[in-house]
Amino acid sequence: MNAASLIPLIAALPIAGFLFTAVAGRRLGRRAWVVPVAVVAIAWAMAMVVVATALSGGFGESGAVVKLWEWIPAGAVRVEAAFFVDNLTASLLIVVTTVGLLVHVYSIGYMAHDEAGYWRFFAYLNLFMFSMLLLVLGDSWLTVFAAWELVGLSSYLLIGFWYRKNSAALASKKAFIVNRVGDVGFALGIMAIFVDTGTLNIRDSIGHLASGGVSLAPCAQGVVSCAASMPIPVWVIALLILAGAMGKSAQFPLHVWLPDAMEGPTPVSALIHAATMVNAGVYLVARANPIFASAPGAMVVVAGIGIFTAILAASIAMTQTDIKRVLAYSTLSQLGYMFAALGVGAWTAAIFHLMAQGFTKGLLFLASGSVIHAVHDGQDMRKMGGLAKKLPHTYRTMLIGSIGMAGIPPLAGFFSKDEILGETFKAGFIWVWAIGVLVAVMTAFYMFRLIGLTFWGESRVDEAVAPKVHESPAVMTVPLWLLAIPAMLLGLLLSWPGPPLGPLFGQKGTGLLASWLEPVYKDGLAILGRGEEAFALFGIDGVLILVSVAVAVIGMVAAWRLFGVEIGSLRRRGNHEQVRELTARVPFLYRASLNKWWFDEINHLLFIVIGGRVAAFAWWFDVNVVDGIVNGIGSVTRRSGSGLARVQTGRVQNYALGIAVGLIVMVGSYALLASR
Amino acid sequence: MDGFPILSVITFVPLAGALAIGVLPARYARPVALGAALLAWIASLLLLIGFSVGRGGLFQFTEEVSWIPTFGIKYKLGVDGLSLLLVVLTTTLSWISILASFKPIQTRIKEYMISFLILEVGMIGVFLALDTFLFYIFWEIVLVPMYLIIGIWGGANRIYATIKFVLYTLVGSLLMLVAILATAFAFQAAHGGNWTGAFDYETLRAYATSGGGFAPSLQLLAFGAFFLAFAIKVPMFPFHTWLPDAHVEAPTAGSVILAGVLLKLGGYGFIRFAISLYPDAAHTYAPAIIVLSLIAIIYGAIVALVQPDLKKLVAYSSVSHMGFVTLGIFIFGQQGMQGAILQMVNHGLITGALFLLVGVIYERTHDRTIAKMGGLAARTPVYIAIFGFFVFASAGLPTLSGFVGEFLTLLGTFAFSPWAAAVATFVMILAAAYMLWMFQRVATGELSDFLRGLGDHLTDISPVEILTLAPLGALVVVFGLFPGILLDIMSGSVMRTLADVGSGTAIAIDPIFVAGALGVLVAVVVIRVATLPAVRQAVASESPA
Repeated sequence: MNAASLIPLIAALPIAGFLFTAVAGRRLGRRAWVVPVAVVAIAWAMAMVVVATALSGGFGESGAVVKLWEWIPAGAVRVEAAFFVDNLTASLLIVVTTVGLLVHVYSIGYMAHDEAGYWRFFAYLNLFMFSMLLLVLGDSWLTVFAAWELVGLSSYLLIGFWYRKNSAALASKKAFIVNRVGDVGFALGIMAIFVDTGTLNIRDSIGHLASGGVSLAPCAQGVVSCAASMPIPVWVIALLILAGAMGKSAQFPLHVWLPDAMEGPTPVSALIHAATMVNAGVYLVARANPIFASAPGAMVVVAGIGIFTAILAASIAMTQTDIKRVLAYSTLSQLGYMFAALGVGAWTAAIFHLMAQGFTKGLLFLASGSVIHAVHDGQDMRKMGGLAKKLPHTYRTMLIGSIGMAGIPPLAGFFSKDEILGETFKAGFIWVWAIGVLVAVMTAFYMFRLIGLTFWGESRVDEAVAPKVHESPAVMTVPLWLLAIPAMLLGLLLSWPGPPLGPLFGQKGTGLLASWLEPVYKDGLAILGRGEEAFALFGIDGVLILVSVAVAVIGMVAAWRLFGVEIGSLRRRGNHEQVRELTARVPFLYRASLNKWWFDEINHLLFIVIGGRVAAFAWWFDVNVVDGIVNGIGSVTRRSGSGLARVQTGRVQNYALGIAVGLIVMVGSYALLASR
Repeated sequence: MDGFPILSVITFVPLAGALAIGVLPARYARPVALGAALLAWIASLLLLIGFSVGRGGLFQFTEEVSWIPTFGIKYKLGVDGLSLLLVVLTTTLSWISILASFKPIQTRIKEYMISFLILEVGMIGVFLALDTFLFYIFWEIVLVPMYLIIGIWGGANRIYATIKFVLYTLVGSLLMLVAILATAFAFQAAHGGNWTGAFDYETLRAYATSGGGFAPSLQLLAFGAFFLAFAIKVPMFPFHTWLPDAHVEAPTAGSVILAGVLLKLGGYGFIRFAISLYPDAAHTYAPAIIVLSLIAIIYGAIVALVQPDLKKLVAYSSVSHMGFVTLGIFIFGQQGMQGAILQMVNHGLITGALFLLVGVIYERTHDRTIAKMGGLAARTPVYIAIFGFFVFASAGLPTLSGFVGEFLTLLGTFAFSPWAAAVATFVMILAAAYMLWMFQRVATGELSDFLRGLGDHLTDISPVEILTLAPLGALVVVFGLFPGILLDIMSGSVMRTLADVGSGTAIAIDPIFVAGALGVLVAVVVIRVATLPAVRQAVASESPA
């Protein structure tokens, strides 16, 4: 049996687990986790076989395709239900299946208190795994789009998991609808791709678009009747795909759903809203890299939106008091980095950051879940503090994650972020780099603010809860440690033997990830005209690395001065006076950050208040004008009818006569007119 | 099955059932009705099996009996891919509706079941008739039982709703009759006074699409009359206002059939008659119809957003969804038309299910006000799970059937005009908004006071109710994953219709005429607004007297 035949099973197992649990889960009670976790474990093992085969070149450079059936056969439109694995897919499979499996295991413990919803939770998780795997494995734009919406559905179900809470129900709805805004763009992009290239297959269509253009096959062949405005320019396609990516990856201005999505149980936030689904947009743009490379203007838009989201979200993360919200804004900010990287053509760096963040952020969210668990469902960091000793595993793993997030070498977060900043600078996007550096300071700051408020200093936990604070069971802490390993080592592994460490040890090669992804980006890089770049450790690159490290340290130390530190012999108490003083000095910025730049208020005004008025007017118009005219004609007829009431004899024969006469008159006039 | 009149059997089995109910005691009404509908359903499935796909849209199983030889009027039935799908949809929804009526309908059960079965005869006949006069007869047969179903077993305001429904539809259908007759006259005039074939669909179609076809002025008038009849049925904006009223007052099963089948009569009529018989006029009217379709898609969705009543919400969503049907038909492309037909079938399944689901909750609460609901997920989890499934199906979730039809329509539209596609695609957001907002208010949160007050009456969905929904749910999944089943069946008919369209060219219309028509329209709207009570009062209070 070759590895390619495992590919459909990877996706089929979770959906089977979902169907089984949906039907039988209710009766299984506390054992409901067994099947869902088992199928994901098996899928993980199979995925690893596929990943190993792919990355060792077992599928060749063009990857493996597995066709299942023809999904939509409609004339020139032929969409196959097919899977596709190349090295980019394989890289994502590593993150999706590994984090997915660990989150499933963690949930066994985390959700144990939710007796009634236990089975439902695992069913939804399986559904999500299926959808996410379909998304990265899909071979056709439409398959990816279907998966795109299915992850949206699973996200909806899981955010709204505690449906009795109104806030959860509202957040889930908001997430789905905001995502649909992006999806409209994505759908139109897919249509444009079809009209331009005559195929909905991802590889074929990108090939057409990258090879200098547009064949207009369907129009030329006459299988589709096309308007004069064809073909659609490539930059339009790029921007439409970007719209879809912005929805899923929560980029400004479609970022508003992600913080609210924290209403879902924490394992969901870790899996869907940090490690996997929100990365789908990055994957999509990276996958479509030749399209973007052919549209330089669109690339700048990608970079601009990315870096703006990065700084906007970082500015908000600095003042939030809800532990999960800080992490949510940090996720937004890091996604912004990835988009910035995509926009400057640093596609490898974007995927590198995606993988590093997938593990690091997954870890941080699961650890925050452990904290929330410990303080009995409290998420307010003002009511935490001093938890380090009581939650040793949670504390240590979360500290590892935070150091990584801050960008301190040699953790994974350092390598990927440094690569993004370095590439940005060298690609000539100095403004992106400058903002990126500023964001790096802010990142280090808010991560250590979070650690300081949560784990260090004195306990501010409610007195009723304080004695009951305890470390989570092994089923939850073991996944934390398992995620901490890649959060520490992944960067070294994936960049070796390339820069930045390779040259230091006399190695002359490209990094592991870069060599994996080289075939995927070949076309795009050729269009951009980028070749191999020399790496000057004792030149510009060395300076850039020093800057990256320096700003991370600055942010970290700043946080220590304000919120305290307790690492080894480094000890310092937080200074709340100084915090207050600082915020008072920039009142507008502080309030803007605290109120998330009022985006929710703006959207409420635009869509609920104004949109609601428009809809109400439309209904009024429908009842009074459209229907009013109909009823008006009716009443006019009735009034004139009462004048003719004498005709109403009540005899059927008379009516029949009338109808007959009327018909003859009408037919006669018709015939007269028609014969002219 | 050569020579066996399977089409007549499918059409008249329900009639036999109705007759049997008429002579049998009332307690047999339910089982006999269900039996007859199931029999028609099974027969239609046999037809589906016997149907050969690769026949290029030609009619199969045709039956022909001379009826009024003087005018060449015949009893002629036949089935192609298009009508086959709609017939099976009709027979499926019919037995489901009859089963769903068992509990809610407790008065005049005999009359109800007879009406329902006669309704089924009419609907099947419309789809199978290959004689324009016979088509008209069946078309009108549909009207009477529906009038009774709403008028007798409907809600509080049923008389207003049913009279509006009947008069509105009658206006269209009488004009259609005139057009049918005028077409026949024109045909016989062109053939030296020979009536043979003047009402025969195939003959007329061959005449219309070869050579010059019918005279431009006849085409414009006849198409206009057909358009009015079909546009009212679909219903297209601005002829849709009977629909919310009719739905709100109709009993559950009536709504299911109304949305599931009756609206499709319009779409079917456009494809079968209006386009193929008057291709030049179709080209002439197409731009206006496309614009109206786009308006319907967006406008229906916007109005659906603010509906306080579950049924009205689904009714307005139907206006939006059916906009895709007319849009897909009139862009005259394969993807568009296939998408439109898929959309007809899928809308029938999904919206039919949604009305059944509203019926389930209405049975328990005798209320459909969204604001009074809330928190049902905790109390009736199975019901809400099924409801949620169809909510997402209606919102066009891929892998469920609604998506493919809409996507194909949009794809066809995009090639025709990217801007039109952009407008139509925008409804994805609105559809998610109105469906999910409704669903959230019904399902989530704590149980509302109103529902809590119902106590033990508020039970979860019953096995029989699940039985009515399960086949629809299964089909929604199957057609979502394997739409090829439907696409293959219909493709011959679609290609043939498009060939008919291809034979036509737009007729030049005097711009003065268009301007005049628009002027009249504006005048009517202005008069209406000016005569609104609120406006009149405002004017009165302004004047010094």
